Amino acid sequence: MKIYVTGAATTKFGELWAVSPRHLAGEAVQKALADASLDKKHIQALFVGNMLSGMLGGQEHLGAFFAEELGLSAAAFKIEGACASGGLALHNAVNSVLSGQYETVVALGVEKMTDHKPEDVAVALMGAGSDEERQAGATFPGLYAILARAHMKEFGTTEEDLAAVAVKNHFHASLNPNAQFHSSITIEQVMHSSCIADPLKLLDCSPISDGAAAVIITSDKKQATRKNSVQIIASTVATDTLGLAERRSLTGLAATQTAGKKAFRITGITPADIDVAEVHDCFTIAEILAMEDLGFYKKGKAAGAIAKGETRLGTSKNLVVNPSGGLKGCGHPVGATGIKQVAEIVEQLRGRAADRQVKNANIGLTHNVGGSGATAVVHILKK
Amino acid sequence: MNSPVKIWRNQQRIAGLLAREGRIVSWTIVRVPPSGFSGLAPYPVAIVELAGGKRITAQLVDWSEKDLAFGRKVKVVVRRISDPPTEGVIPYGIKAKPL
Repeated sequence: MKIYVTGAATTKFGELWAVSPRHLAGEAVQKALADASLDKKHIQALFVGNMLSGMLGGQEHLGAFFAEELGLSAAAFKIEGACASGGLALHNAVNSVLSGQYETVVALGVEKMTDHKPEDVAVALMGAGSDEERQAGATFPGLYAILARAHMKEFGTTEEDLAAVAVKNHFHASLNPNAQFHSSITIEQVMHSSCIADPLKLLDCSPISDGAAAVIITSDKKQATRKNSVQIIASTVATDTLGLAERRSLTGLAATQTAGKKAFRITGITPADIDVAEVHDCFTIAEILAMEDLGFYKKGKAAGAIAKGETRLGTSKNLVVNPSGGLKGCGHPVGATGIKQVAEIVEQLRGRAADRQVKNANIGLTHNVGGSGATAVVHILKK
Repeated sequence: MNSPVKIWRNQQRIAGLLAREGRIVSWTIVRVPPSGFSGLAPYPVAIVELAGGKRITAQLVDWSEKDLAFGRKVKVVVRRISDPPTEGVIPYGIKAKPL
């Protein structure tokens, strides 16, 4: 059975104080339906990726909540896996179609974060970590800072190397009308931004964001005969320990390595075949880890390559990474991110990404991480 | 959300860690803390490998800049964890003190 993406859409990401979660979800799904030229009566199931609605908004039961809002008479589920909630929602959507139970379903990612105080959002996000980490007063910038320091010690990665990831992704975001940030930044600006959790500075960190994204998938070839349909050829998930302390290594994420290897094995392709990728750069170090753990670079080699522009639009010879701006530049409404990544790859493979179009994009990859690496989701898509 | 029962259960678990010694594997300094920790910031959070190989995540106490180093020896101590939440129970737990 083949899985086709027939519709994909993303709302504007950012500090959207005037917009409710209902409206974000409505806009994303309506745009995805329009993109697929599909009436909503054909949607048989809804998979909602979201992390924080219960802790921040007091609203659970999101399957029914959004099915009502969207006017869908469909089976509806909320899928939660921290910042990988969106990727996990799509994985479950894909499996539901592969099972034969449903033919056409929608995966929706949505998050509303800016209604609340940053220190309360930090507490809610730490719900993705271990109790021991919460007791230590750790934050997610702190946990990734611990990974960054270990990587710097083992491979000589520098703070300027980290900054180069943010500079690249802000440049890409400046070309994306839906991105939270449209300003290019410099290495110096990153280096002089205030310290959040040493060695990570403000401009090493993805922002707190609102936003939604939706993709419609189907096994129905008739719906997929249009030129612009894209296939999902791998959807893999791997899990690691919740807390950092229990990991064997602090210089890579084993869940990413496992999910990536499985996706490449299923499809029979190699990292060198990937033309465009959206990887989980919640912090600058995370993109360096992802590039190594997915097999694009050997351990210790990604930072220098990124700094040289090997994965940047305009200077890349092969692979472009995070053309949307990534989590850093496009924004990171946590439950929406995994779906936005797929929507971006769909646009790239269709050749409709306008100013940020990657040339000759035929095969794309998405990589979505939950917590400090306890969950990793990888999707591979092709034209 | 915390509760007296949860704190009591947790204290039984952490008793086995008290007074154990270990070494810093990696660390950060949290400068933008979550709710309940603002009075403590900035504070280091470290991964500590205890003798025997078990690793824990712990906040450092009684520290200075020179203590933030790979391999620095620390000891597990009991301390107040954060501001008392609305339940009013003062949460105690473990932290790591440089030796």
